[in-house]
Amino acid sequence: MRQTSPVIKQRRAAKYSLGGLIRRGFSKESWPRVWREPEFGSHYDVVIIGGGVHGLATAYYLAANHGITNVAVLEKGYLGSGGSGRNTAIVRSNYLTPEGVAFYDRSLTLYNSMARDLNLNVMFSERGHLTLAHTDSALRTMHWRAEVNKLQGINSSVIDPAEVKRLTPSLDVSENVRYPILGALYHPPGGTIRHDAVVWGYARAADAYGVDLHQKTEVLDVLCTGGDGPEGKGPGGRVVGVRTSRGDISAPLVVNCTAGWASTIASMAGVRLPITTHPLQAAVTEPVKVFLPTVVVSGSLHVYVSQTDRGELVFGASVDPMATYQMGGTLEFTEELASHVLELMPGIGRMRLLRQWAGLCDMTPDYSPVMGPTPVEGFHVDVGWGTYGFKAGPVSGEQMAACVANGRVPELIAPFGLERFSRGDLVGEKGAAAVGH
Amino acid sequence: MSNHRIPDAPGQLINRDVPLTFTWNGRRLRGYEGDTIVSALLANGITITGRSMKYHRPRGPLTADYWDPNTTVQVGDEPNVRASHRLLRDGMNVSAQNVWPSLRFDLKSANRLVGRFLTAGFYYKTFMKPAALWPLYARVLGTFAPGGVVDLDAPPPRNDKRYAHPDVVVAGGGPAGMAAALAAAQAGASVMLVEHEHQLGGHLCWGDDTDRAEAARLAHAVRAAGVEVLTDATVTGRYEDNWLAISQRGLPGIDERLIKARAGVLIVAAGTIERPYVFAGNDLPGVMTSGAVRRLITMYGVKPGNRAVVFTANPSGDAAVVALEAAGVTIAAVVDGRLGGNVVAAHGRNRVRRVTLADGRRIDSDLLITAVGWTTPTSLLNMSGDRPVYDPEAARFFPWCPPDNVLATGGLAGDGTTEQLVAHGEATGLLAAARAGVVRHRLQHLTRRAEPVTTPEPAWPADERPPLPHGSHPALFRSTTHGIVDYSEDVSSKDLVQAADEGFDSVELVKRFTTTTMGPSQGKLETVNTVAVLAEARGETIEQVGTTVWRPPYAPISLGALAGRIHEPVRMSSIQPWHEAHGAQPILAGQWIRPNHYGDPESEVRNTRNRVGIIDITPLGKLDLQGPDVPKLLNLLYTNSWNALPQGAVRYGLMCAEDGVVLDDGVTGRLGPEHYLMTTTSSGAATVWNWAENWLQTEHPDWQVHITPVTTGLTSINVAGPDSRQLLERLTNDIDLGPDAFQYMQVRTGTVAGVANCIVWRIGFTGELSYEVHVPSGFGLFVWEQLLVHGQDLGVAPFGLEAQRIMRLEKGHFIVGQDTDGLSKAPVTGLETLLKVEKDDWVGKPEVVWALSRGDGPRIVAVQPTDPTVVPEEAAQIVAAGTNQILGRITSSRFSPTLNRSVCLAQVHPDVATPGTTLTIVLANGTRTTAQVMEHHAHFDPEGSRLRG
Repeated sequence: MRQTSPVIKQRRAAKYSLGGLIRRGFSKESWPRVWREPEFGSHYDVVIIGGGVHGLATAYYLAANHGITNVAVLEKGYLGSGGSGRNTAIVRSNYLTPEGVAFYDRSLTLYNSMARDLNLNVMFSERGHLTLAHTDSALRTMHWRAEVNKLQGINSSVIDPAEVKRLTPSLDVSENVRYPILGALYHPPGGTIRHDAVVWGYARAADAYGVDLHQKTEVLDVLCTGGDGPEGKGPGGRVVGVRTSRGDISAPLVVNCTAGWASTIASMAGVRLPITTHPLQAAVTEPVKVFLPTVVVSGSLHVYVSQTDRGELVFGASVDPMATYQMGGTLEFTEELASHVLELMPGIGRMRLLRQWAGLCDMTPDYSPVMGPTPVEGFHVDVGWGTYGFKAGPVSGEQMAACVANGRVPELIAPFGLERFSRGDLVGEKGAAAVGH
Repeated sequence: MSNHRIPDAPGQLINRDVPLTFTWNGRRLRGYEGDTIVSALLANGITITGRSMKYHRPRGPLTADYWDPNTTVQVGDEPNVRASHRLLRDGMNVSAQNVWPSLRFDLKSANRLVGRFLTAGFYYKTFMKPAALWPLYARVLGTFAPGGVVDLDAPPPRNDKRYAHPDVVVAGGGPAGMAAALAAAQAGASVMLVEHEHQLGGHLCWGDDTDRAEAARLAHAVRAAGVEVLTDATVTGRYEDNWLAISQRGLPGIDERLIKARAGVLIVAAGTIERPYVFAGNDLPGVMTSGAVRRLITMYGVKPGNRAVVFTANPSGDAAVVALEAAGVTIAAVVDGRLGGNVVAAHGRNRVRRVTLADGRRIDSDLLITAVGWTTPTSLLNMSGDRPVYDPEAARFFPWCPPDNVLATGGLAGDGTTEQLVAHGEATGLLAAARAGVVRHRLQHLTRRAEPVTTPEPAWPADERPPLPHGSHPALFRSTTHGIVDYSEDVSSKDLVQAADEGFDSVELVKRFTTTTMGPSQGKLETVNTVAVLAEARGETIEQVGTTVWRPPYAPISLGALAGRIHEPVRMSSIQPWHEAHGAQPILAGQWIRPNHYGDPESEVRNTRNRVGIIDITPLGKLDLQGPDVPKLLNLLYTNSWNALPQGAVRYGLMCAEDGVVLDDGVTGRLGPEHYLMTTTSSGAATVWNWAENWLQTEHPDWQVHITPVTTGLTSINVAGPDSRQLLERLTNDIDLGPDAFQYMQVRTGTVAGVANCIVWRIGFTGELSYEVHVPSGFGLFVWEQLLVHGQDLGVAPFGLEAQRIMRLEKGHFIVGQDTDGLSKAPVTGLETLLKVEKDDWVGKPEVVWALSRGDGPRIVAVQPTDPTVVPEEAAQIVAAGTNQILGRITSSRFSPTLNRSVCLAQVHPDVATPGTTLTIVLANGTRTTAQVMEHHAHFDPEGSRLRG
């Protein structure tokens, strides 16, 4: 796998370091802006719609790996305001299919060196990831994943309840509970990361290369010519730019990285995506002293939990069954979550839920992303990530940048092309993704 | 106890006749019934109640109410208790949080010395090198996590839930809330009044004699009018259509109860929250809001200090001066913010010693009281979709346009005298009752569709309430110095300015970067100050900056309360008690508990193969299908054809999801002209029911099919083995079991062991002659016992799930979800004849057609290891010899007692699926072994002569 090797060096950003902190502590000199507030340009070589981890990583790798810096990232709200700031920040690579393992392992590699690559501490906490099995069939799936992972060189194995207890004392591993823990898939390299820091790290590094980050800039239309549909949109045409709330931009290449709004944006170019948008809810408790050292996932109980270094427990679950853009959250989610968490950890009933929220997931029929070109020339997509977009952010950005820059679909993302839906070539990640985070 | 208490006076809530003892960090102290933990601590002269998160600065009571960020303590095994709200109990064990090693002497307070380096988000900028040390850094940072300690071995809290359907819920029991509840109840509405504090009255409780008299009058009237009053309770969430979450504490025997209420109208009367002021030293113990001292003095008889400077910009500050004087506190200075006075700094080490004013005066004092304005707790309105707007004249936010089943009143909606607030509350209550009446009318006519609508819907009552005025208030957020904005997160105004300078300049980014407003009070005290500091830094107005979105819950609610009593059902058949009494080893299979075996599964196999066995297969999913269009539904859901299924026949079918992946399988029998029984896998029962209903209701509502799930309505027993016919013949006289009269894959209805309406079908999952008997579940155990009694001479014995798994594997029958998985498209099964591509349409057909034409998907094959004693683990990988390239995996494996060798099913790449191919298997211990791909799926009796006999 090719390592990141910057083609050009244009860093203007001040280097973050302990020395810098100490020097500024004495001198009271302030840090320079993390990124510029750029002028609104009327032409870019590449326009990226969506200022989350996927969009920003794509911009960064376009500049760092391919020397393409006349790039704009357009964000409707503030950077990281979508799924990038709403996910539960879990990363791992113990997937089920060899393709999935290779892809996410590359992502984990990039996450591992990110703090140094981007000169911003993304607080990667390699704390170990446990996927609990409560049934024979779940245990069988864990064994399957472990065996695949071992052959792929991924550190992943099935452990027994006693070992689960040793790693995570707060879990109830006794037999007389409704869903006893029969074992777990243990993946030591998995862990958590500060999701905001990943967004800021890519944003700051991309900005340093000259990429323009336009916040509070909503894309109202995608401008096309030559297509079959109205206004030159649709298959057969090509993209010529975007219309935004701040004016028009001309660009020969437009990348759609808008997750929950992916199908809305694509339809502006006359491209239909097989995507529905579902909310994924999450919640956080008040902080308590750290007691949960690992990331714990239970597929049977539809819950995953980790404790932040601030002491809060962060919970997530499966996507809501109904397609909607509503992000209000439901009471039922918190009730179900609490009962499932207490099933796993009966000792935390006195902890209090502090906040709940939801993010929007762009779900495809095969739980796999849609990446690469579309029938509208120059209009690329990196969407359909569903519930696990954050884990894939770095590698997606790297691969999409290569795709856009070289005009060729890299091998790693070739299975995820949009045309697979009309060729009957769906990627079976559903089985792997169904086990959750 | 001491010069910190003032003499008894009207309005005090403490009962001096009932002294209580408690411990504080191990020290025995005394308080009174009615005290909060904090009032009792202050009465004992204790002013430091905790330390801050980052710098471990000493902290004392600030607001002395539920939202106080500085008085969160550990009570016994309960962390994060709001000590300013929680009532004292005899024997309470209270200790400070965030202290190391002790509250008085805290080593981590050394962080204060390096505070200039620990600027907001400092951790993002360092600890990157050397990478190997980061885990160590992370562990140290983790020790700064604020909050109490969870005792994982403590007995679980007691919680329960309740449903309520009041016409009107009033959130907030101050004057406006009480008046609203009263007016709504008098207008005939059922009303629930929810008050956060331990008593009704709101701010009147710490007001003057007239205020308290009015509070008492309203509280009495509210109860007399039949309003259900909940105190120490909070409306924590408002969801779609006024679905409310209400947390209620302080009930006998219940730690916290979650009330789920569907309210016709929600009245939000949450009042206002007093905002702290930002200046240097504003977090020193002794700096308090005016509300804090008024509460402590008036309600708890506590004298909070000896000598006070009062910075006031409103009547609450003026009233604090009066209250302090009455409590015997010397007023060292009154600084009037309305006249341009200002406070610049508070000085002291562990509490306020001196105060610097803007006019240069330095005044010795141990109290600094601020009254600089209000935050509007608009959370419930936010959750309703409202986006409150800022009024610069009043220096606070007001509701904008809530949905019309949510009404705001009281201090949240405007200012006024008590009479004005009460009048507005009354008008709101009347409007709410009228609107709730319309909602009720609608509901009644929704639920009684059969009745003709005789009364037209009443008109939706218009909001004609005269609005409450917005008083004018000086805009006081930060002095000329920097101080703490978020107490629980230790974020200062300087941190916010720095973050804005660095480019984190929108309110959401600054929140995420500095963590301001993310602590336990979720911005109730901090949001407006954050926005104001940010606006100042950016040279914008507060309206331009805007606020963050307040999300549920309004106040934290315990996981125990949300979970309630855990009701996770365990499903079992009516025979399960018999199994347990007869030595069955239980196994959990999804929601079910069932016998895995009765001691020796291999002998159960032999007995069934040689004589006759019975197994309880009740978990098998069963759907009763009736109607003329059932064949259409079956044709849509199954891959094969169902047009010509004769009455009395059963047929096997395979179901796919839309992506062509195998969803489920089972047999369906035709019992009558328009009556069918469908069986599904045990784990797929709910999925298939959902699936079928979904297709019927969303795609084919015109089809006449009625589905009734009858999984537990029928007890299912499989009678299997060469002697099964002989056994069953002894128990039925109206079903002809003759081999020609009742053939393989046929169904009959009749009497078994005297039980009528049994459904019997002849299929063969085990590979033996066998009859599945579905008995009305009340008679299940009876029929089971009759089979055993009447088959004694035949050697009948029960067998469990394990024996069945062995036999089906010997027979090569795959199990959906074990031998197939979430990636397995239908051709994996090798059942090409069942994939009717010529059939008009069925779910998954396009994908299956593609998969068939490509032919490159994996295949299920039967595999026998070369060494018959080796049983490869299920999930063992099949690889290309000498490499790690995965070609498939073992999906099922057992040692076959019938064949005396190991047998397997595997999923393999089509290139190695040809019979005779030698496979390489990686065992779990890493060693490799070989195995042979077999000709047939069935290791045993491939011709099926046994089951057809």
